[in-house]
Amino acid sequence: MNNWLSRLLTSSASSEPLSEQARRTLAQWAALPDADLGRAHFETRYVVINTEASGLDLDKDRVLAVSAVGVDGGIVAPQDSYYAVLGEQPVSALTGLLQAAGKAPLVVFNSAFNRTMLERALEEHLGLNADWLWIDLYFILPALFPERIERPARLADWMSSFGIETFQRHHALGDGWAIAQLFLAAQARALAQSALSPRGLAELERSYRQYRRKV
Amino acid sequence: MTAIAADLLVGASTDFLRNFSPFNRMEPEALAFVAERAVLAFHPRGSDILTTEMGVPRHFYIVQRGKVQARQTGATAVTEYASLSLGPGECFPIGAISAQRPSTNAYVAVEDSFCFQITDEEFLQLMQMSPVFHLFCTQYIASLLNQSRQQLQTTFSQRAAEQQTMTTPLGQLIKREPVCVGPYTPTRAALEQMNAEHIGCMVVVDDEKHPVGVLTQSDLLPRVILAGFDLERPIGELMTANPHQLAATASAYDAALEMATHGVRHLLVVDAEGRIKGVVSERDLFSLQRISLRQIRAGIENAADVGALKRASKDIRQLALNLIAQGIGAEQLTQFISALNDALTRRVIQLALERHDLVGIDFGWMSFGSEGRHEQTLSTDQDNGIIWRCPEMEAAEPIRQRLIAFARDVNAGLAGCGFPLCKGNIMAGNPELCLTLDEWRSRFGSWIREPVPEALLNASIFFDFRVLYGNERLGDQLRAWLNKIVKGNSAFLRMMAGNALQVAPPLGRLRDFVVEDDGTIDLKKSGARLFVDVARILALRTGVDSSSTAQRLRQASVKMGVTADEVAAIIDGFHFVQLLRLRAQHLESEHDGQTDNRVDPDSLNELDRRILKESFRQARKLQLRLKLDYQL
Repeated sequence: MNNWLSRLLTSSASSEPLSEQARRTLAQWAALPDADLGRAHFETRYVVINTEASGLDLDKDRVLAVSAVGVDGGIVAPQDSYYAVLGEQPVSALTGLLQAAGKAPLVVFNSAFNRTMLERALEEHLGLNADWLWIDLYFILPALFPERIERPARLADWMSSFGIETFQRHHALGDGWAIAQLFLAAQARALAQSALSPRGLAELERSYRQYRRKV
Repeated sequence: MTAIAADLLVGASTDFLRNFSPFNRMEPEALAFVAERAVLAFHPRGSDILTTEMGVPRHFYIVQRGKVQARQTGATAVTEYASLSLGPGECFPIGAISAQRPSTNAYVAVEDSFCFQITDEEFLQLMQMSPVFHLFCTQYIASLLNQSRQQLQTTFSQRAAEQQTMTTPLGQLIKREPVCVGPYTPTRAALEQMNAEHIGCMVVVDDEKHPVGVLTQSDLLPRVILAGFDLERPIGELMTANPHQLAATASAYDAALEMATHGVRHLLVVDAEGRIKGVVSERDLFSLQRISLRQIRAGIENAADVGALKRASKDIRQLALNLIAQGIGAEQLTQFISALNDALTRRVIQLALERHDLVGIDFGWMSFGSEGRHEQTLSTDQDNGIIWRCPEMEAAEPIRQRLIAFARDVNAGLAGCGFPLCKGNIMAGNPELCLTLDEWRSRFGSWIREPVPEALLNASIFFDFRVLYGNERLGDQLRAWLNKIVKGNSAFLRMMAGNALQVAPPLGRLRDFVVEDDGTIDLKKSGARLFVDVARILALRTGVDSSSTAQRLRQASVKMGVTADEVAAIIDGFHFVQLLRLRAQHLESEHDGQTDNRVDPDSLNELDRRILKESFRQARKLQLRLKLDYQL
């Protein structure tokens, strides 16, 4: 409760009226059609979202930088990516993220942290409560590749299992690039297991979470 | 901000590429060109990345992580290696993409692999802008050519040996050491050995290696399983004694005769002392007979006029009928027919070209419909057209008139060889079907924009095009354009899907089959076409270049998450329907009847009836999938 209240207070304290440009971007984003969650992977653009925060404490720490990497039809293209430091201009950093992500289904690693941090930042700076489909590789990967690691594990463990490297660890885009590669592998395996669409992946994640709760 | 992110990722790709030749030696702007355009994709272990069947490669790949194996496919090996592993930093294909032809290798991911890829156009641009990369590719191709020259010589000597055909001595046909046991061997041990060695025939010999009996797989059901034979008893009590044998010096022809006379599938080959040398099977002999295909082909290629081709076309028909009688599968059979008909058509075109001067005109002869899909049966009429490119600064109409005159000549020649003129006038001699690349694009484009029933019908015939003679690149460009346009137009695909679902498989609720008034099923309209129509839509949706139904299904299924077993069952169903069509046509031509595609299910034996029912179920499954995908 305390947490909720403090956020409400800070947000009202720091919320200056949004600039004309930011409002226009927000309106454009809101007008985008919703993604069709039943389409096959090869017809879907997913966006891998990652954040960089001042620490790991959900209550105290803040988002420092955000990144997005598009995975469109099973292809990662460097041109379809986004990275911004919030710094002095959090509004433009976050509206930029919205433009890059559109309404695509989002892929994260560890949504408990990344999603929470990002949603809070979006609400605080843009007053936005977005209703996205989030797919969390933290659960999807052990569900799809139990022969590699049979329980939810750290990003570093999955990277070393697949031999994936990146140009900079703990950097929003550096890790995002690695997560995007993991997601490419996950899509291919999901096809073989009949999770054919974003909705299929979401269902897989849900049933895996239920299964983890039981064991 | 986006620029920063792209720069970071491009930088990461650049750093990766710099570790490998030729990228480490490449001009900075060329390296930047690759790194900016290279996109990353994943290929799970065991998946095909590029095969011959996929046609002209659309991408150039650089392995980022994992292992990709290049395997020789096709009849003759081009290089000295049978397979080659490619690891991080290595690229493929080089020869095929430079020459804009299908790859002779199959590239398969043997580990979970990530590959960068650039498009074929970007590859060609890179060749132009980077002397280092150009040299790298040409040296690579030169080394291949050198290898292939040596290979060609061995192939020639092999072919010379094959020419002996049915006069080949049996001794040369033996592929492996015979697997033998003594007559006192317990049956179980003998069967275990048969199983382990994957052989269909076990030879029983005495101490001097003289054959005293055989046991074949087909003996197992009546003599072992149904008879409840005790496996601990010796094989001598079970075998067929006094097996058929021939000397190693006897010919393949003698063996074929012996097999036909006695109705056996295996023959023992013995040396001068009567000792076992090996086993020859019916299949070994069949592989020899394929050379007669080659002979028909030579007859076609050397034909001096349409009269000679007419005889060749009768040979093709006769051969097809013989092969049906021998029980060859539908896929191989239609491929034979298609290959020979292609050769025949090419020869008719060449003969016509002697009378029509088309030098300097860039054109391709297109086939549509079943011919375009490589799925001709014995009664296929002509479906063809011309695609051409008008040279700059020249008037189009005079060229078109010359092409039409030439095409009418070819149409008449083909009719003379037994390909009836198309009743719907889908023929290259029709000015409406002698179009430039741009005109074809706008024709196809108008059907896609306004998918009225007639446009959808046209799409189902013309979208199965391929270039059979002339500049194939024109056809490739049209295909690439078509796939791109259709992919972004799900409304059109939905209309196509609705159209494809109009005919349901003739499966009844109460009876096995729903038949028409005359008690028959139309195997084309309510059989083969169901598979063909869905395959076309899946190919367009997934950007598959191939025009053959089986290839379309196989390649599209990978992207759709359909398992290999599932797709194999669907394709088997399609082929069985095709086989029944061919068989029906075979019977009718023997009785001089009208060749059509009707079969009376009551006339089929129990087994065929069941398989037919299963085939229709597969068609229904395929349709159901389409229904779900497009919510129809």
